[in-house]
Amino acid sequence: MLVFAASDKGGTGRSVTSANLAYQRALTGDHVAYVDFDFGSPTAAAVFDVPGAMRGTEERGLHSYLEGETAEPVRIDVWRQTEHPLLRARPNQSGRLVLFPGDAGGGEFATGEEALERCVDLLLKLNNEFDVTFVDLSAGRSYAVDMVLDATAHPRMRNVPFRWLVFHRWTRQHVIAASGLVHAEHGIIGGGVERGHDEDELRAAIRFVRAAVPDPESPLWSQGSTAQATWMQACDEALRRLAAEQRIGDSVVLGIVPLEPILQWQEQLITEEDVLSTQIANKETLEALEEIARRLTDDTHWGRL
Amino acid sequence: MTEPVFRETAAEPRTQSVPLAHLSVELGHLYMEDFEAGPERLRAHFAEVRPWVEAARTAATARAGGKRARISTCFLIDDYFTRFSTPAEVVPMLLAEAERAGLTVDYLARESGCAVTGKVPVAEAVAARIVESPPPGSYGLRPPAAQTGWLANGERSPVARAPQAMKRAVTWQPPHETAARRHSVFLDVELWSDDADGQRLWSCPFLAAVWQLARLGLLRNEGEAVLAPQPHTAGGFPDKWDELPTLLQLNEHADPFAAYRTCSVLPTRFLPVEHAVRVILDQIEVDPGALAQVADRSGKERMPVPDSVADRISYVYYAGP
Amino acid sequence: MAPRQSTPPAVLACGEIRTCLLPARQALDIRSAAQLLGLRADERVLLSERPGLYARSPETLTGVDCPLPSANGARVRAVGTVTAHAALTEGRVLQTSAHCRMPGTGPDQRRPWGEYLVRPGVVEPLGKLPRDAVAQGVLGGPRHGDLDVGLIADGLLTRVLRHPLLDQRPPFRSRPTRLRWAALPAAPGEGPALERFTLAEDELRTVRLRVPEGTAGADIAALCDDLALHDWLLTTVVRMLDGLRLGAGAAHDAGAVVRTLRPAVDHLLHLWMPGARVGRELAALWDPLEERPGFTRQWQALVQRIRDQLTLHAIPAAHREVEPAP
Repeated sequence: MLVFAASDKGGTGRSVTSANLAYQRALTGDHVAYVDFDFGSPTAAAVFDVPGAMRGTEERGLHSYLEGETAEPVRIDVWRQTEHPLLRARPNQSGRLVLFPGDAGGGEFATGEEALERCVDLLLKLNNEFDVTFVDLSAGRSYAVDMVLDATAHPRMRNVPFRWLVFHRWTRQHVIAASGLVHAEHGIIGGGVERGHDEDELRAAIRFVRAAVPDPESPLWSQGSTAQATWMQACDEALRRLAAEQRIGDSVVLGIVPLEPILQWQEQLITEEDVLSTQIANKETLEALEEIARRLTDDTHWGRL
Repeated sequence: MTEPVFRETAAEPRTQSVPLAHLSVELGHLYMEDFEAGPERLRAHFAEVRPWVEAARTAATARAGGKRARISTCFLIDDYFTRFSTPAEVVPMLLAEAERAGLTVDYLARESGCAVTGKVPVAEAVAARIVESPPPGSYGLRPPAAQTGWLANGERSPVARAPQAMKRAVTWQPPHETAARRHSVFLDVELWSDDADGQRLWSCPFLAAVWQLARLGLLRNEGEAVLAPQPHTAGGFPDKWDELPTLLQLNEHADPFAAYRTCSVLPTRFLPVEHAVRVILDQIEVDPGALAQVADRSGKERMPVPDSVADRISYVYYAGP
Repeated sequence: MAPRQSTPPAVLACGEIRTCLLPARQALDIRSAAQLLGLRADERVLLSERPGLYARSPETLTGVDCPLPSANGARVRAVGTVTAHAALTEGRVLQTSAHCRMPGTGPDQRRPWGEYLVRPGVVEPLGKLPRDAVAQGVLGGPRHGDLDVGLIADGLLTRVLRHPLLDQRPPFRSRPTRLRWAALPAAPGEGPALERFTLAEDELRTVRLRVPEGTAGADIAALCDDLALHDWLLTTVVRMLDGLRLGAGAAHDAGAVVRTLRPAVDHLLHLWMPGARVGRELAALWDPLEERPGFTRQWQALVQRIRDQLTLHAIPAAHREVEPAP
């Protein structure tokens, strides 16, 4: 299965969250690929802690591949090449976790017919090899989004299942923007239909992930005043109403990732170790990630609503 | 090694051989405008051709070490780009003018036969055998988007295209002929064009290249010879071009149509087309079985052919329309 | 132009093979296989039905003009063509194989292109070929810009995989493998020998051979295609079993065991026929591999293990007193 990770704005935690989802899937035994189509600012190498492996990928990353300058994009075996001490010991029974980085110096670029064919080649190849392939897309209505909408509408891809995750923060502006990305005239659905996607099927394959959501019940806020707590409750309530109006309400939410300093500041994978022994990450965050990872392939959370 | 006991015919390649002369001389092409210019045009043409045919004959005999050289003549009529008149009208006139000049046309071919003969898509098959000459630096990566339908003798000027954000656009660079000696004579040949309905029209140089391969005995389809000459048995000539065999043997005593080498006698205006033919032939991977047969037999006759297919063809150009 | 003397004999042959599962739900029958591999309108696909369905495309040529890979840093430019074909075994396993031969010496400068085209599959050095360094360079992997026959095999694979006949629904997930080979001349009077078969990175294998002078490049390629096919079968089935959680803890998931192993029975177990399409002389090179580590021995053990697992899981759980252990 292909999973496209999209967001309307930067700073939604899209890359770090989807990388964590990839990690969680690999822990359960799936073979997982993580494809960095965040052409403007490739960051996945930092999240997986493989900066050393990035040396020499200036000319053999995904940009070069799509432009036809290299036939096989670099692949980085995360378990083997990460500098993260905990990830190095590949957990027993875990699947492979392979990162396909962008070029170190690559920028956003215009795509053409040939790039699209190569994109289809790559996605098919990955789908034949990996159980789940995460594709991290540049923020907004980017070339990357257009390209994968084109690719998934391509006749050769007709039998390849795919799902979209749209990440957004829990604020007024982000809720409106995320809804726009999906539902606006030339949004993911509109743009997809223009490219030959079936509207209902595409809609059924899109779910939202609310990221960096402050939980009013969390001990983080327990020191606050009663007035503060009430205010937060009210805001949360108002945002829920807004989200529902914007057609991105609870029924199309796959999961909620709590506000987590480690994701905000450090952009890293959250391991059990971080929760249990060093306790730098919250248990709730890890559980949320595990749950979203599980729901990705749980059909009861997908479909027309 | 002993012969295997078990064989499967579908699992073994085979190549049919064709009879071969020493030299194939082309007496000319006939296009609509030539026909419209009247019999005088043909008469003048054959008068110009005659001494050169003699010269070619002499040279071939010398190459054969004084033995009788096997030489056949042929003539090509365009029925592909424009259809004009009828075989019943054109062919007798053509033969009469040749005879008047003291020439014999052994084989008559229709140009559309170089595109499709019977059910064999000859031109398409030859196009699939193009192996582009690699510019230095070709290490195995597929060339990024070859110009479909064009073939050059070198590297084209880079096309300005939208670069990645923040990267500089490239300035103009000249094209470069791969085999250039210091300076380039760059040629880019259009092999075909497709019309709005997707109908493919093969270009004149491309069909001429196919024609040369046919005359060199190097065309095969699934191992079978294509463009095999049909004997002329009927009394006259049909009223429709399609009813005329694509390659017709007019002289029953003629030497074989295909030959080790070819020579074409043409007016100078064909020079650019024939330059293009060389550029194409130089980049076609000919059926290896057919190639081996020609090399083998010419070697046995002590008349070895040049390695390169493009070097087996020659021309005489005379000044004229 | 005076005709050239025949090319000096090849002193090095090298190639690379990509092997993968055909991405189609059903194995292709022989007619569909011929369609898939009909790379040229005027050349037949070679089809063979004994001892199994096998189809091979016509050879395609790719022109190259670049430095040769070399272990000692010598940068010798070479020009010529690399030949490549695609093959399908039992309508299920797809291979693309590219190879070329190199003579010991070549001209000082590049010839007209047409002269290379009449020697398909020959890449000529400009000057003298540093044979051993190039052989080592090929097996070690070319640097960017050096001759890379693997790219040519990959390009052909990409082309075949774009064929509309393929529904892109492989019956199970698997990984393609690459096998790189280099063949040096055997000492005079010596027969062919397999010097080394190395499992390198995850997907890469390298093979170093010695062959008597005059051994056709196509014959060596056929041997290496065969080695690559069987190595892929072993690799793939081993990984299938690796992915299984066996033993007491996984008792509830007998269905998963059957789901994972069944494709092996459906699609792979009948493909094992080492040496079936290799000339007699070169087929003998299988012998050392059969001796140690024993490819067929390992295969038979895997097949037995798969059959045992499927038998055990066919028995209702209540009757299984002892859970199957890996």
